[in-house]
Amino acid sequence: MSQSNGNNILTALSESMAAAVEKAGAATVLVSGRRRMPASGIAYAADLILTADHVLERDDDIPVGLPDGSQVSGKLAGRDPGSDLAVLRLAGPAAAVAEAAPQEARIGQLVLALGRPSQDGIQASLGVISAVGGPVRTGRGGLLERYLRTDAIPYPGFSGGPLVDTAGRVVGVNTSGLARGASLAIPAGLAWQVAANLAQYGSVKRGYLGVRSQPVAIQAAQQKALGREQAAGLLLVGVEDGSPAEAGGLLVGDIVVGLAGQAVGDPDELLARLTGSVVGQPAPVEILRGGQPRTLTVTIGERK
Amino acid sequence: MIDLNDLSATVADAFATVFERARRSLVVVQNGRDGAGAGVVWRPGGIVVTNYHVVARGRARISLVDGREYPTREYPTRLIAQAPEIDLAILQAEAADPFDPDLLVAPIADSRALRVGQIALAIGHPWGQLAAVAAGIVSSLGSVPVHGRRGQVDIIRTDVGLAPGNSGGPLMNASGGVIGINTMIVGGDLGVAIPSHVVNAFVVETLGESALQDVRAYKV
Repeated sequence: MSQSNGNNILTALSESMAAAVEKAGAATVLVSGRRRMPASGIAYAADLILTADHVLERDDDIPVGLPDGSQVSGKLAGRDPGSDLAVLRLAGPAAAVAEAAPQEARIGQLVLALGRPSQDGIQASLGVISAVGGPVRTGRGGLLERYLRTDAIPYPGFSGGPLVDTAGRVVGVNTSGLARGASLAIPAGLAWQVAANLAQYGSVKRGYLGVRSQPVAIQAAQQKALGREQAAGLLLVGVEDGSPAEAGGLLVGDIVVGLAGQAVGDPDELLARLTGSVVGQPAPVEILRGGQPRTLTVTIGERK
Repeated sequence: MIDLNDLSATVADAFATVFERARRSLVVVQNGRDGAGAGVVWRPGGIVVTNYHVVARGRARISLVDGREYPTREYPTRLIAQAPEIDLAILQAEAADPFDPDLLVAPIADSRALRVGQIALAIGHPWGQLAAVAAGIVSSLGSVPVHGRRGQVDIIRTDVGLAPGNSGGPLMNASGGVIGINTMIVGGDLGVAIPSHVVNAFVVETLGESALQDVRAYKV
């Protein structure tokens, strides 16, 4: 490889990272919700800012600094201390809307941590995804289904800002508020889901079924009986006494294939379906019992 | 289809190429008392830029780093200008002629065109390790208040891990151009560099525009 080609590729990498910072930085805002260090936020919709819960000491009149230097007032739409996320509703639209990465982050992937802790411009640090973990109990009484760890330096005020890929798409939301100051990121898919709940309901209700399960393959004949192509379901290996699952008639050995009209193939999908509007409501649970499809009705409890 | 293995190797080679080129303009600056700092050959004729705090005490001498474990050729120097408020100093290597093949002028990049997120490489002598390289990105671009007539001075902050011994050494872009001089002017957890446009203004103020600035023929 010639010297000039090598240099071109390094220059190209350098320019693409600068472009990623520019793109994601246009949707990264300054959130002044506490007395000391200001923090950062992500415009995930035109008038909605996703930020960290622990950086908001009040609910109203939160100054939000936009990338063009102007300022708008934000009002708390909802907060979820368990995942350290909060959503602010702006009085006017933010400049640009962030794009979430289409795929979950991979270990070793290059990422940039971004923050806007002052009006002096965007800040960034470079690193890789060091670990993808979870579920983990957070120091704030919540359960985080998934988290990312990175070696990108978390500068003061980076909480609430985005962790982005080299195309400037958000792979996670940075926070130092979950694990005794250690810097983690909440995966964008999960954060966007929490944000949608916060914007709509003001809080995140997490459902409780009371089962232990493991994913299993569904054979072709059973898929035929089910009337759709679904390669995997969740085999129940435990049903807790007095749980919503028991009350609804679920048994050890049942294979759960759907909840509330949507297919469920692995534990993460089940967790994802058990949020928001289903909590406290009777929901149809689709199962295979003895190879035959059945639908039971379970009133989903709330996980405390 | 890009071969990813080849791409990684190409990127690694490119880093090595930038480093090899930059090392030829890097010097060790010693004052005989406080350990070593780094410096950059900024102009022909042995004009070296370094940090003021590296040369503030004692009589500095510079030496070259030619790839071996320890410096080889040494030059006594004369301090010809200093700007403590921005932690810069200019040294003249004595007995250096304008075409001294050992004192190769570094390519200077335009630091006013920098963007946050661009690759930045620092070379210097962290903890006495000669000609060590560290990579990162430009983390932020801003300015800080300083004493004296400048009032404010532009700075580059990077996430490159710097240590004592990096002081006075170059911060470079992806094509090996010097974008700043690493310094200890302000504390905090970020590496700080004085941008090359500020350094160059200081050099021009001291020495005037250089007639030899664009002579590149001897630089092979």
